[in-house]
Amino acid sequence: MGKIDRAKRRVLRQAVADNLETIRGLPPRGVRPNVRRSRLWMRRLSIVALPVMLAGSTFLLSKPVTEPMFVVQRGAPHKPLAAAAQPQPQTLTTYEKVDPAALPLNVHRVVIDAGHGGTDPGTALPTLAEKAVTLDIAMRLKKLLERGGFEVITTRTDDHLIPLRERAHIANVSSSDIFISIHVNSIVEHTSEHGVETYYLGPTRDAKLTKLAAEENRESGYSLADMRKLLDGIYMDARRDESQRLASAIQSQLYGGLRNADPGLQNWGVKRAPFLVLVATEMPAILAEVGCMSNDAEVEKMHQPEYRERIANALFDGIRTYATEKK
Amino acid sequence: MKEGSKKMADSEILHVGIDLGTSRSAISASNGERFVVDSFVGWPVDMVAKKVLKRSVMIGHEAVSNRTMLDLHRPLERGLLKEGSDKDVEAVKELLRHLLRLVGVDGNGNGRIPTSNVRAVVGVPAAALRTNKQYLRNTMKGIVDSLMIVSEPFAVAYGLDALLHTMIIDIGAGTTDFCVMKGRYPTEEDQRTLTSAGDSIDTHLLKLISERYPQANITIFMVREWKEKHSFVNKAPEKVVVTAPVNGVPTEFDITNEMKAACETLLGPTVETMLDLLSRVEPEFQERVRNNIILSGGGGLIRGLPEALQDALKQVGGGKVTYMADPVFVGSDGGLALAIDAPDTDWEKLSA
Ligand SMILES: Nc1ncnc2c1ncn2[C@@H]1O[C@H](COP(=O)(O)OP(=O)(O)OP(=O)(O)O)[C@@H](O)[C@H]1O
Ligand SMILES: [Mg+2]
Repeated sequence: MGKIDRAKRRVLRQAVADNLETIRGLPPRGVRPNVRRSRLWMRRLSIVALPVMLAGSTFLLSKPVTEPMFVVQRGAPHKPLAAAAQPQPQTLTTYEKVDPAALPLNVHRVVIDAGHGGTDPGTALPTLAEKAVTLDIAMRLKKLLERGGFEVITTRTDDHLIPLRERAHIANVSSSDIFISIHVNSIVEHTSEHGVETYYLGPTRDAKLTKLAAEENRESGYSLADMRKLLDGIYMDARRDESQRLASAIQSQLYGGLRNADPGLQNWGVKRAPFLVLVATEMPAILAEVGCMSNDAEVEKMHQPEYRERIANALFDGIRTYATEKK
Repeated sequence: MKEGSKKMADSEILHVGIDLGTSRSAISASNGERFVVDSFVGWPVDMVAKKVLKRSVMIGHEAVSNRTMLDLHRPLERGLLKEGSDKDVEAVKELLRHLLRLVGVDGNGNGRIPTSNVRAVVGVPAAALRTNKQYLRNTMKGIVDSLMIVSEPFAVAYGLDALLHTMIIDIGAGTTDFCVMKGRYPTEEDQRTLTSAGDSIDTHLLKLISERYPQANITIFMVREWKEKHSFVNKAPEKVVVTAPVNGVPTEFDITNEMKAACETLLGPTVETMLDLLSRVEPEFQERVRNNIILSGGGGLIRGLPEALQDALKQVGGGKVTYMADPVFVGSDGGLALAIDAPDTDWEKLSA
């Protein structure tokens, strides 16, 4: 070993230390709650876009997927569902009986995010608004999870608009283990089709998915260029693998649990798309499109409390599958 | 030396630095050997192919040339091991064994250097996470005795003695890696990885040419070759005219505009990331970093690119971008330097 200077010796020592951490199997950063990182995010977001070309599709590498056309309709605010489960005040200890600490689960705390709300109804039909469906399912899922020994955090418990950024913030400060966002699809070009699909965060080249994401990200105040910037920094995040596993577990339970009750339901699978709410959350996160409000038969079903309960059950089973696999 | 002791005389130990790249992988060894191979591994598709090729596996350029008869794998994706695919894991092992064989290492003894004497430093993209590294470690078990994994641009910086107030921009095939050296082992915030790199230019270029000349019969391999000959940004140094078959007849096409557009897709993200990282350097050192920007990787050969980056630096006070004249071995040489400099006591803790 020849003589090497101090600077080299120091970086070498640090390189070795980093390797020893890897050998010891410390959990990857992305899955650990990390406040510093979120601050970095905020700083990154505030950078004024530079006058540079943001290259189109190649900036986000992924396999193109063929999708039905998505159009997210917007309309007037709606009343909450008549049969909606009563929202409960949100505290960290509302679970019944079972102490989560007693369970051998790595997933203790779950964030449930009911899509849309308040002035943003999501898909709005004369008789039914997406925001009400998502809230109702969220409340049902909350109950199921608490009964199952999980702690639950909700981003909204009533008909209010919570900005996406705020939703992510709620999730992040609660040090939750996973994040579940509930949405309902609307595919107006193909009203005869209906299916379920689950997204996790990732780049997509598909123009329709980009458009869908842009719609869902609309109230965020961030442009797609910002999103690209965000995504490029984290596409290799270990969180992605976990999110993908979570998405697979949920998607298979969703489809499996609903297809008997909903003839013709299609399995649209697990997909990636840059939904902002998935970008800014620091835990494995998914967004489930639990049905299609563009399909009349399904709207009929969505009106039935039993069917919404079934959806909540399917989501619950998905979460449990993921949590059990994780042990 | 004690019997049975794992520690060996220095002379028996082979230090190697390996740059595991998406498109090319290089190895530099302490016995003076250096090799670079295309990161392709292929297995004959059937018995006939096996008979014709007379081999059970092919690696590198040879594999690409015989691709029609092979189940061809490029086991790294954006500079990382493709996880979850057994074939790709097997391919990366073949690739590593092949690289080591080239410098004289042999798993079966045979009078050459046994794997148990090899200490390897392997470079991975800046954004590789702990899980990726753990995965790579598992894959390397049995292939080398001791292993240190480092961020690839850090290896480059170490090899060039550029540890303080410099920025490395490594434009590879799968990723463009950025790393600001602040005299310490780079942390997450000192580094960035973009997926805009050589491969994304190829995809873009293929798309643009196919759109303009739908009748031309072109492949990604042809496009890559054209790019490596004619790439440029900003002002065209010459007209880019290439030949491709139309219904089997070789035909000339002018792809100057497409080449420019495809190469320039790199500019935006690269400039933006460079300036962003610069803005995070402590103000008093920013000028020094600006004047010590090092461009490496095959993508750095795009004509006009260093100048374009320098132009962009003007808006923040100007700077200097230096291109590595011979970028092929800078990563592996840096890894080798690290391997040699790391003390024995550390190596003993780093068994693969
Ligand atoms: N003259 C050139 N102009 C433009 N691109 C080039 C040129 N020569 C090589 N390249 C491209 O550079 C890339 C290979 O660079 P390099 O060997 O640094 O990548 P790598 O290390 O294999 O990839 P990575 O670092 O992403 O794993 C390829 O995309 C190749 O086509
Ligand atoms: Mg490289």
